[in-house]
Amino acid sequence: MDSSALTDMFDAWIDAALEWLVDNGDFAFSLLRSMLEGFYDGILWVLDLPPFYVVAAVFAVLGWRLMGLGSGLLVGAALVFCAAMGLWPETTSTLALVVTATVLALAVALPTGVVAGFWPAFDRVLAPVMDLIQTLPPYIYLLPAIALFGFGPATAMVATVVVALPPALRLTSLGIRLTPVEFIELGQASGMNGWQMFYKIRLPFAMPSIMAGINQSLMMAFGMVVIAGIVGSGGLGQTIYEAIRTLDIAKAIDGAIAIVVLTMVLDRLSQSGAGIGQGAQP
Amino acid sequence: MNSPTIDTDEVLVDCQSVWKIFGDKSDAAIKAVTEGGLTKTQVLSDYNCVVGVSNASFQLRRGEVFCVMGLSGSGKSTLIRLLNRLIAPSLGKVLVKGKDLARLGAAELREMRARHIGMVFQSVALLPQRTVLENAAFGLEVQGVPKAARNETARKALELVGLAEWVDRYPSQLSGGMQQRVGLARALAADPEIILMDEPFSALDPLIRRQLQDEFRQLTKKLGKSSVFITHDLDEAIRIGDRIAIMKDGVIIQIGTAEEIVTNPADAYVAEFVAGISRLHLVRARSVMGSVADYRSRQPAVSIDQLPKAAPEADIDELIGLSMQSERDGIAVVDKGAIVGIVTVRDLLHGVKGTRSAAPTAGAPAS
Repeated sequence: MDSSALTDMFDAWIDAALEWLVDNGDFAFSLLRSMLEGFYDGILWVLDLPPFYVVAAVFAVLGWRLMGLGSGLLVGAALVFCAAMGLWPETTSTLALVVTATVLALAVALPTGVVAGFWPAFDRVLAPVMDLIQTLPPYIYLLPAIALFGFGPATAMVATVVVALPPALRLTSLGIRLTPVEFIELGQASGMNGWQMFYKIRLPFAMPSIMAGINQSLMMAFGMVVIAGIVGSGGLGQTIYEAIRTLDIAKAIDGAIAIVVLTMVLDRLSQSGAGIGQGAQP
Repeated sequence: MNSPTIDTDEVLVDCQSVWKIFGDKSDAAIKAVTEGGLTKTQVLSDYNCVVGVSNASFQLRRGEVFCVMGLSGSGKSTLIRLLNRLIAPSLGKVLVKGKDLARLGAAELREMRARHIGMVFQSVALLPQRTVLENAAFGLEVQGVPKAARNETARKALELVGLAEWVDRYPSQLSGGMQQRVGLARALAADPEIILMDEPFSALDPLIRRQLQDEFRQLTKKLGKSSVFITHDLDEAIRIGDRIAIMKDGVIIQIGTAEEIVTNPADAYVAEFVAGISRLHLVRARSVMGSVADYRSRQPAVSIDQLPKAAPEADIDELIGLSMQSERDGIAVVDKGAIVGIVTVRDLLHGVKGTRSAAPTAGAPAS
């Protein structure tokens, strides 16, 4: 059949491309891998250095400053609960994975989003790419990543970064694009240059949108980190994956509860952080 | 309505035959309009272009408040944006302080806007995440004035508009009228000679609006500022404008003082507009008076010297008062010791009604 021949050709081409990348890009990918793992190990080292109650206390204080005393205590209690289930090492490595992946994703998404906000043609090119990333099943990204980076947290991070990119990028671009016209006029009439217009007018108005994007990216990263348990991400994802493989339902549910608790903690923290980003509006 | 003692002949803004046509084919449209004399509707159907401003010329002199009155869609908001080049004209020149805005470089244009042309918007456009003080200091911040100095200046500007107590509040805590005062303070803080007012008071309720109109006029006169003031409200234009331009379909139909426009409307459109305006404080003796010879021929028995006397600048309200106290039916208008005309009761009634008894006097439409 004509069409299956075409498909075979396409598949062969993909395989060849990946093989070529593995053969020829080995040095670059090894370097990238050790950089990613170094970043991840650093954050994990900081989280694992003090005993769990110190980390929980630090998060509790953060929650107290951002959201008030009650919420702060709740955040602390949630982390202590994860430790009480005997999942503290898994919790810290999941946290480290999510944080590093989100930071890397934002490092790409925010500047790219700003450029796309200013340059509609670029935005139109990016839109279908973002659509593709968001509609493909997330574990699709694990395969090429495992081919290039091997088994381990670096692979999980690369796949997570890809999945976490679109929300922050799209909402940043939207926020920059939707600056109210009257404030653009104010800026022009005040004699602003382009840079002043950006950081004194466009950025403050885009901030709520950008913050919503960061929060959404963080949530996407959480979702992906669990799936990435398949490729040896470590942490709660791997705990759940292995429990499922051995049909250890109790363990799987423990891990799931810890993930939910952790997700809620980071979601609330980042949302209230977004509130502060919007400026002190009484 | 006297201006302070500054050089009122100095032209700050000179708008010379300015056109603005919006649309993709505006170049072709502008050619067709200026050479072929197409109308607004023809331009829309033939070129799919909208004529915003059509051949507008006027001058803003130092110390005056120049009102541009027109209904929505008349092009007045486009016109004011041509004056600081938020919109570039399709044809014609705008000179500010003798400099052609089109010939300024980007940095020079920014400098011109920052230091010489303030602007106040209908939407106010106060930054919600900044305090009142930070908003008022915004223009100076853009210019790079250090924080202490710009806050000091902004504080003084806020005092001028009566908001000294509110410096640390946020815009959302202020009423509409107060927000607009902050907008004015922001424009004043940068100390520009020219202030562009784009329908600043339109969204306010009538009492607050009138209060702000009076304050605005007093403030600009006191500080010696010049202003182009856009409004769709003729009462507002009469209340604060030294001169008024009436706009319709992008064309300036008439320019003149309130009295000139009310007593001598250029066409039926303007006449319809001014029909409902009270003339008691607008129309003055010199524009309703008849000649002395005329009066003599009709009333040979009356001695002109015994008539009550009034200055040429006396308004109808004052003249009515005078004639009610007098038994005679005329008032002599005296200028520099000489009697220059007589106002009869009939003239007064014509003045109130807005009709014309004598030959037209001052108030020919400006070109």
